[in-house]
Amino acid sequence: MLQYFEPDASHAAQFARDLGTPARFSETQVALSIDGHSISVPEGTSVLRAAALAGITIPKLCASDNLEAFGSCRLCAVEIEGRRGLPASCTTPVTEGMAVITQNARLAKLRRNVMELYISDHPLDCLTCPANGDCELQDMAGAVGLREVRYGFDGANHLDAETDASNPYFSFDPSKCIVCSRCVRACNEVQGTFALTIEGRGFDSKVAAGQNEPFMDSECVSCGACVQACPTSTLMEKSVIEQGVPEHSVVTTCAYCGVGCSFEAQMKGDQLVRMVPYKGGDANHGHSCVKGRFAFGYATHKDRIKEPMIRDAIDQPWRAVSWEEAIGFAARRLREIQTQYGRESVGGITSSRCTNEETYLVQKLIRAAFGNNNTDTCARVCHSPTGYGLKTTLGESAGTQTFDSVMQADTILVIGANPTDAHPVFASQMKRRLRQGATLIVADPRRIDLLKTPHGGKSLHLPLKPGTNVALVNALAHVVVTEGLEDHDFIARRCEGDAYQQWRAFISEPRNAPEALEAETGVPAAKVREAARAYATAGNGAIYYGLGVTEHSQGSTMVMGIANLAMATGNIGREGVGVNPLRGQNNVQGSCDMGSFPHELPGYQHVADPAVREKFEAVWHTPLDDEPGLRIPNMFDAAIAGTFKALYVQGEDIAQSDPNPARGVGPARAGLPDRAGHLPQRDRQVRPRAAARRHLPREERHLHQRRAPHQPRAQGDAAGGRKGGLGGHPGPGQRPGLPDALHPSVRDHGRDRQPHADLHRGQLRQAGKTRQYPVAVQRRLPRRHADHALAGLPHRQGALRDH
Amino acid sequence: MMATTIYVPCDTTARSLGADAVAARLTRAAERLGVDIQLKRNGSRGLFWLEPLVEVETATGRVAYGPVAPTDVDALVDAGLFEGRQEHDLALGDIEAHPYLARQQRLTFSRIGLTDPLSLEDYTARQGFAGLKQALALTPQGIVDEVKTSGLRGRGGAAFPTGIKWQTVHDTPAAQKYIVCNADEGDSGTFADRLVMECDPFMLIEGMTIAGLAVGATQGYIYLRSEYPLAQAMLDEAIVRAEAAGYLGDNILDSGHAFHLEVRLGAGAYICGEETSLLESLEGKRGLVRAKPPLPAIEGLFGQPTVVNNVLSLAAVPLFSTRAARPTPTTAWASPAAPWRCSWPATSPVAGWSSWPSAPPCAS
Amino acid sequence: MSHPTPQPADTALAAQLQAVIDQHAARPGAMLPLLHAIQAQHGYIPDAAVPMIAEALRHTRAEVHGIISFYHHFRTHPPGRHVIQVCRAEACQAVGARALEAHVKSALGVDYHETTADREFTLEPVYCLGNCACGPSLRVDDEIHGRMDAAGFDRLTAQLSATVVEVK
Repeated sequence: MLQYFEPDASHAAQFARDLGTPARFSETQVALSIDGHSISVPEGTSVLRAAALAGITIPKLCASDNLEAFGSCRLCAVEIEGRRGLPASCTTPVTEGMAVITQNARLAKLRRNVMELYISDHPLDCLTCPANGDCELQDMAGAVGLREVRYGFDGANHLDAETDASNPYFSFDPSKCIVCSRCVRACNEVQGTFALTIEGRGFDSKVAAGQNEPFMDSECVSCGACVQACPTSTLMEKSVIEQGVPEHSVVTTCAYCGVGCSFEAQMKGDQLVRMVPYKGGDANHGHSCVKGRFAFGYATHKDRIKEPMIRDAIDQPWRAVSWEEAIGFAARRLREIQTQYGRESVGGITSSRCTNEETYLVQKLIRAAFGNNNTDTCARVCHSPTGYGLKTTLGESAGTQTFDSVMQADTILVIGANPTDAHPVFASQMKRRLRQGATLIVADPRRIDLLKTPHGGKSLHLPLKPGTNVALVNALAHVVVTEGLEDHDFIARRCEGDAYQQWRAFISEPRNAPEALEAETGVPAAKVREAARAYATAGNGAIYYGLGVTEHSQGSTMVMGIANLAMATGNIGREGVGVNPLRGQNNVQGSCDMGSFPHELPGYQHVADPAVREKFEAVWHTPLDDEPGLRIPNMFDAAIAGTFKALYVQGEDIAQSDPNPARGVGPARAGLPDRAGHLPQRDRQVRPRAAARRHLPREERHLHQRRAPHQPRAQGDAAGGRKGGLGGHPGPGQRPGLPDALHPSVRDHGRDRQPHADLHRGQLRQAGKTRQYPVAVQRRLPRRHADHALAGLPHRQGALRDH
Repeated sequence: MMATTIYVPCDTTARSLGADAVAARLTRAAERLGVDIQLKRNGSRGLFWLEPLVEVETATGRVAYGPVAPTDVDALVDAGLFEGRQEHDLALGDIEAHPYLARQQRLTFSRIGLTDPLSLEDYTARQGFAGLKQALALTPQGIVDEVKTSGLRGRGGAAFPTGIKWQTVHDTPAAQKYIVCNADEGDSGTFADRLVMECDPFMLIEGMTIAGLAVGATQGYIYLRSEYPLAQAMLDEAIVRAEAAGYLGDNILDSGHAFHLEVRLGAGAYICGEETSLLESLEGKRGLVRAKPPLPAIEGLFGQPTVVNNVLSLAAVPLFSTRAARPTPTTAWASPAAPWRCSWPATSPVAGWSSWPSAPPCAS
Repeated sequence: MSHPTPQPADTALAAQLQAVIDQHAARPGAMLPLLHAIQAQHGYIPDAAVPMIAEALRHTRAEVHGIISFYHHFRTHPPGRHVIQVCRAEACQAVGARALEAHVKSALGVDYHETTADREFTLEPVYCLGNCACGPSLRVDDEIHGRMDAAGFDRLTAQLSATVVEVK
């Protein structure tokens, strides 16, 4: 039986408590006593957090462990031996030998008085309040033992403040606001949008969006961080207002983008009430974007298919049937088709939105039950160049860093990506680093929002002409090698010497100078030089790139150019640096790891290798095909040609995501019988997260004995370990999914790459073997940059089988 | 015949009571009578119940008249004001002999009321920039040591030892450090800072410059409340003149040391008199207090080590930064060894930093 | 309730604002000097200046709004020809500022933060002008007046609002 990743009680409990202030990291531990209990915490930790870590709860309202201490509510006051007054524990760092008292009569009186003032300007409608039962103000009133409000309720107050319901997902009811600033701070510190402020001061203080506008008219991006931060019902999900407070939750992974945020789906029965980002998620640390948090209408959408449906032909209506009938129908029809048209006439496609288990099972179904290798995944169409380019250069087709690594980057080079729109939660983290002073370089024709990061550090925009990526990266590298900015020590230790020298000789040629390429790229040479210097001399230079790199005809070449630039400057192999593809979906890595590609069994083990097949055959109890199967575009070609007749698709919408949809949908309508039926997908959102842990059937676990593909190789600081981070990658050693492979016109240009043939294995010295397979197709680079790329990033094709 | 020098104070209070009109009428009267006068706008001596306090330079010293309303001027002139005659009811005689002044030893206020606040000549004639010149001969640590030895304590009210604060900034390495003068004098009834800034601005400039030399700061800001428009005008002009004369800028008195100074205006927020919210405000933010630690001396303005001192503290610096400049304590001082340890709150604007024999010494 | 979304500045205003912004934006901690400069130029901070300031200083509109509203010195509406500030601090209150305040309000027919119908005077409170020895004090534009009383105030406003007639 499959086990899903379900955060166990201790994991969930670890994140269920709010420790009051953010963690501090220090080699120095500080010992103190709190209410007589001894505890040792890292230097810089607040007294409030130290107490929470010791299991001691100090009342608080304005503090939260995802926000820097603010010290405004004064509920967390404590007594510290030898100090005057009652300092706020959130803003007081621990000191060695400190003796803290969190509860006594004096503190109780102070806290009650503080609460009394809060409540004197707060509506007493707890019973009808949407936050009833989920309100920190209510909790604290209880915790401090508030019994009366001596001030009465007739004085000046804010109880008539009007609600702003302009946002479709949450309402803002300032009459309930205690002006703790948590929403403002969450918008600033967590999301980085700075859409909220406190207007005025003193009694007139109030939370305002933009220039005191409706939320929807302000800079607000509806990420909901403020709603999550609000300790009252001032900022409240409309779904909770309508449905009430949820009573249980399930931890799941968001399937919207490649960040892979963890969420608590908070439910009432089987009704989804709200999505709250899970603090234990490595990718999002409790933050989310508008889609992950609020766009969960899919859970109850009328288009959602909740029961199996089949039909015999495309001109017939769908029929809802039992699972037994649907599965029986699908199996029978697939077998019939294979009997009639041959073993190779069926295949399947998995999705990077699937869990590891699902992907594993689909490819196993195809290989073991269908008896062919016609399995592929949607990663084919987005980051195949990453797979090929990074495999070729770095030895692994994976991004090198976790998202958290960006917090140590000094210069961030973003190429062909728009993180604030496409990877918003990671963008928030990146913006935090930019606010800390990291330099930003954006190579993109668009002036992306990241360049406007409020309070960001130095930034540089290289608005290159579309299609000139390789020219630009070569120009950057030219500056590095001609201005003495290489990391010679790294190169000597980590790169293949001859190969490096060849690349270096090419890249040093005057034709690769920024000045020579200025007309080509449209970027002023001085800017290119400035950028190259900023990246190479930063200390930690990190590259993040997206589809603006990969979805080009020179995508693989550009990825290799990026990797070469990183290696030449030694920006690989430690935190804060690296080559980091920003992926399209949340489990690209896993879907590739699990053997979705036609030529590789799980763990990137080639189907042509008899030893590999033997291993799988022994466990799956069936012989396996030794020929790599069809890739997605090949499937369509074959369907049009009439040889491919049935397709099992799991979690992938071909019409939406594959290039040239007419080619995809056309065959589906024309060639494929479309009779296999339509089985409802279980909801990805409420499915437990699988990417984090691989729970395979016990007897199949050893099949992954090849080292995990994203682990460093023997010498391996090169690719770095990664956990939870940057989506995934398509299989290594193969480039069938290169966009230009879709264009037959380029296939007959079998140029001689021999002069540079040694380089394709990459400049990183690899301890492991480089698998080589017959080369069937040479790739023609776009004429414009062919020379740069050829000479700079020569490749001999490996592991490629063309159909 | 030499022109007669007539003094009409120019500080906010004197002006609020018509000093400008008095000055204008005196000028007209002199023209009418053909008397050659030199009208000088001095600072206020702080005897506000006598403002506008008109003084006339005579062979035997300055004689005073006050309070002089504009409408009194003609009668005063007719009664021989230009000659220093003391026949009018408003005549006060030798102002220095006035009992209120006679019992004071004025130190930081020693020039105030006597000089034209914007006259470098007046300033240097009365020990102005002597402290700076002496400080330039010392090492930064030497200056800090002198200030420590002097016992000078913060005059904003908390009486924190100034030298210790400076030592922290001195010892904290940074590419840029700052001297910030807290001139957000917001408490009602308190206007000693205003008097210093309006009546002896060079003294504050000199003190800040010395502080900059001591801790290695090259930039100073005076955070001035917007309710003090005249102080702003006086400081701005004084800074321009000090720069022109080489007392500020990239190369102070050809020493190779740099110090730049700028007045920054608050905007009506009382809280910004608290030093951390003042720093927030200087950085251009809402004036919310910061939690301490970190101390501003370690992470202050723009995150850099910053001296934040009150106007009176910095104004006292030229007197105390060098042993040579330090005045000899009178017998009234509680402790001859560290006379300046005795510090009164700055709520006594009239006396300023003065010796009050009857006052008990403060606990150190 | 929230205001409607502010409208952008018209071209002439935008050009004026941009000139001031460009003059100050590069200064360290430029926000307050910039706001003072704009208020000096226009008498107030036009709403339309907010996005322009935000853009120049890499802030957001919300932040600029929060800063402007924090500092009571900054106005967001055009004032009258003269701004009269009555000191409400303790020292002045002790010598009759409240009576003066009442007289001023009734004489001008406006409350604090309001402007007379003829747009001659805007009335504002102020908390200490440092003229505590000679209160009650008030400030008219940049001039401070001490020992002010009802009669003195009436004389003062009469002078200020006297129309200058040019004699040919």
